[in-house]
Amino acid sequence: MSENTLNIYEKKAEEMTATHIIPVEAKFSATEGGFISLDLNGKHYDRVKVVRLFPFTDANKYLSIREYGGASKEIGIIEDLDAMPEETKSLIEHQLTLCYFTPVISKIYSIKDEYGYAYFHVLTDKGECKFAINMGSNAVSKLSDTRLIIQDVDENRFEIRDTDALTQKEKRMLDLFM
Amino acid sequence: MKNELKNDKLFLEKISESGITSDAIILSSPIDLSDDGEYISGYLFVTSDKVGVCTGKLPDNYINIFKGIDTKDLEVIDPTDLTVTLYDNDKLVHLRLDTYIGSNILSGEYEGAPVHIAAFTNRYQAEMNVLVRKLRAFLKEGTLPPDEEKDDDTNNEDEGLKKKSKRNIFMRTLKYFLRYRLQIVLLFLTYIVSAGVSIAWPYLTGTVLFDHILTKDDSFLTRFGLTGKYAIALLVVALVMIGARLLQAACNYLQIFVMAKVASSTVKDIKTDVFDAMSKLSLNFFVNKQTGGLMTRVLSDSERVREFFIDGLPMIFIHGATIVITFIVMYRLNWKMALLACILLPLLVFMTVKLRPGLWNLSGKRHRAEKAMTAKANDNLTGARVVKAFGQQDTEIAKFAHPSNNLKDAEINIVRLRNRFAILYNMVQEVSSIWIWIAGVIFVLNTHEIELGVLITFVGYVMQLNGPMNFFSWVFRLWAESINSAERLFEIIDAIPEIQEIDTPVRLDHPKGEIELDNVTFGYRVGRPVLKNINLKVKEGEMLGIVGRSGAGKSTLVNLISRLYDVNEGEIKIDGTGVKNLALSDLRRNVAMVSQDTYIFMGSVAKNIAYGNGNATKADIIRAAKLASAHEFISKLPDGYDTIIGASGKDLSGGEKQRISIARAILADPKILILDEATASVDTETEKAIQHSLKFLVQGRTTLSIAHRLSTLRDADRLIVIDGGRIVEEGTWDSLQDKEDGIFKNLLDLQNKSLEQTAAF
Repeated sequence: MSENTLNIYEKKAEEMTATHIIPVEAKFSATEGGFISLDLNGKHYDRVKVVRLFPFTDANKYLSIREYGGASKEIGIIEDLDAMPEETKSLIEHQLTLCYFTPVISKIYSIKDEYGYAYFHVLTDKGECKFAINMGSNAVSKLSDTRLIIQDVDENRFEIRDTDALTQKEKRMLDLFM
Repeated sequence: MKNELKNDKLFLEKISESGITSDAIILSSPIDLSDDGEYISGYLFVTSDKVGVCTGKLPDNYINIFKGIDTKDLEVIDPTDLTVTLYDNDKLVHLRLDTYIGSNILSGEYEGAPVHIAAFTNRYQAEMNVLVRKLRAFLKEGTLPPDEEKDDDTNNEDEGLKKKSKRNIFMRTLKYFLRYRLQIVLLFLTYIVSAGVSIAWPYLTGTVLFDHILTKDDSFLTRFGLTGKYAIALLVVALVMIGARLLQAACNYLQIFVMAKVASSTVKDIKTDVFDAMSKLSLNFFVNKQTGGLMTRVLSDSERVREFFIDGLPMIFIHGATIVITFIVMYRLNWKMALLACILLPLLVFMTVKLRPGLWNLSGKRHRAEKAMTAKANDNLTGARVVKAFGQQDTEIAKFAHPSNNLKDAEINIVRLRNRFAILYNMVQEVSSIWIWIAGVIFVLNTHEIELGVLITFVGYVMQLNGPMNFFSWVFRLWAESINSAERLFEIIDAIPEIQEIDTPVRLDHPKGEIELDNVTFGYRVGRPVLKNINLKVKEGEMLGIVGRSGAGKSTLVNLISRLYDVNEGEIKIDGTGVKNLALSDLRRNVAMVSQDTYIFMGSVAKNIAYGNGNATKADIIRAAKLASAHEFISKLPDGYDTIIGASGKDLSGGEKQRISIARAILADPKILILDEATASVDTETEKAIQHSLKFLVQGRTTLSIAHRLSTLRDADRLIVIDGGRIVEEGTWDSLQDKEDGIFKNLLDLQNKSLEQTAAF
């Protein structure tokens, strides 16, 4: 039995269990094709993937930076995006906006429920939207007492950050889901 | 929405500036996101030598319309600032479609560097998936693949046709009840009789009693041949009154009796249909919806349907008729008085219409709070072991307080509003009855147009109107809810199982057990293939070992062979016939699976082993148990093979359950045996015993065995290694173990090494 392969596996196991923190010095840069590349410890990654580990409770903390494609191995974790240099931060945030595309609802014009579906007409930070949700499935998930994630029939996501900030009338329309 | 670029003049004009005409475009799909994560309007299009993206900004007043929204009356607002980006086909490789949260990104490699091509939300996922698949083939082979089968389209059309109007749903539900025509007719009769008595009652107690009998109205009495016999007349009226009440009581009794029968029968019929439909549905349906929610939905929905059709529908006619007849009678008696009496009724109607919705909202809220609390309690009780092990009782109690409090608040709110409503309602009712008395008395005293008896009749009628009026204020709500419920039930009944037998399925009479996978691609979700282009042939009687990391797609592969899911692309054949063409019953009988999640039904050990094989003799069962090394522990159970196991019975260990399911598969005597980590939770000694018995078992059978413990596969004729959804290594044990740097060799070395280490301890 070759000791060599065993060592490789020992190393792999070690790698799999180790947590790498991405230091502030890590060099993230924008590629021409519209992605992010990373140079870290002398290694260059053409395109990296950013994954939020706590997308709801702490969106900007603990971001997993992963290789793109294949097994998409984790390169390391950014503990706090706000502590990173301004450039890196805006670069990664730009990427995240697209990968976690969730318009935030600021105003509810109407909610109509009919035959197992509810029809929303809302204003979001990305513009006015009309969408339909299936009442039978768990289309509305409550992250907290006042924060909602709403998924339309195609699983497009919309968010209500704080239901307390809505007007009485809007709240009454939402009552159906509270 | 305009899903075809060919129909969109504005974009076509812009694209034509780059010299591309509408005819040159061979593929197109809409897109709706910019790479900054803003909604845009645009298209991805493909010509014979270019891939292009044309996008435009959306004006501020643009409304984004998602699936399910009616777009009929929508005015089209044109996007502005159109831009076109073009890519040369020959420089574009490695197209990838990645699905993120609420967005999808199409990227590729252009001139060697990764490039972002387009982004879009899930609303265009389906179109883009088709486009990308075709585009890939086009870039590779230079020709467009033919349009896929119209399966989905026809389904959509069906959907459109089925877009049931309220009336259709209503008629369809009504059919369930019309099976009990006789009982329904009887029910109607009793309703009519008791309504008739209700209408006659005030007349009897008011006009007849006071104005004719007590005033000794001879002209009235002569009609009945009772001239002068006042005492007898009084007795007759009293008897008629008693008789009427008795009749009403009898009707009520009959009503309850018949209603119980019709109601429970129809609810049973509906439930049977629903469960029948559910059992035919594919696994996907149950994975996508939580089973618990489904159960309560079916139960409460069928209850609600019953509620309207039994309590609501007949009463609509009865109460409607009561109101009309009452008004006519009152009008005939004295129209001025009728007008006076009814003057306050609208107030009552107005009040109910105004206050009821609040009550409904609150009760909906309470219902949800109740659900949340039950869910939490359920969660806690099932996880009691973990809660106790981590000493979390106190925090769990604290967590429970929250939903519990919510429920309390909801309850208090509803009681508060209901009381307010009841008090107000009663007050208005009182006021209106006092009003009739006052107005009536003035009327009686001043005009002499009516007598005291008529007044009493009027008061009786007006009081009697309250019920029906009240009924109409909530029956429409009941109707809407019941139609909603019925629709949800029909949704399940009408759901087309994804796994369907073809009309004339091929029977497997003398199965050989040959399996062939031809270029199979499959994913549980669109755009996320778990298996990619798998080609595999398993000969009759061969034992094939499947090796791979967790999540590599091993279990998925075997699920496809027993057709728990249908492949997306390619074909799976058994004995040369595609599984889609095989009779499902034959397929299931000839393919048995022992999987990593064992399921024990409630019932005796013997019944569990003989599941799906009702003809098995006791000797067969014992033999199967022996072969599965289960006989030993079963004999030690208090009631032997008759011990009740499963949900409410004796708890078995993981290994014991697994051995029972192996025995089940052995008894089924299938031509194709699938062992999916069948010996994962048994100890090494038992595993050896099972393996020993499996040696006999696999003879004359085609066996697919998945195992992490490679030693289990030592006897396999051939092994395949799956990684990332593809077969990466294939060969005999010996050939694979000599393959330098092979995944299998590495895994084997590693397991041997750890075994050595264990042995050294």
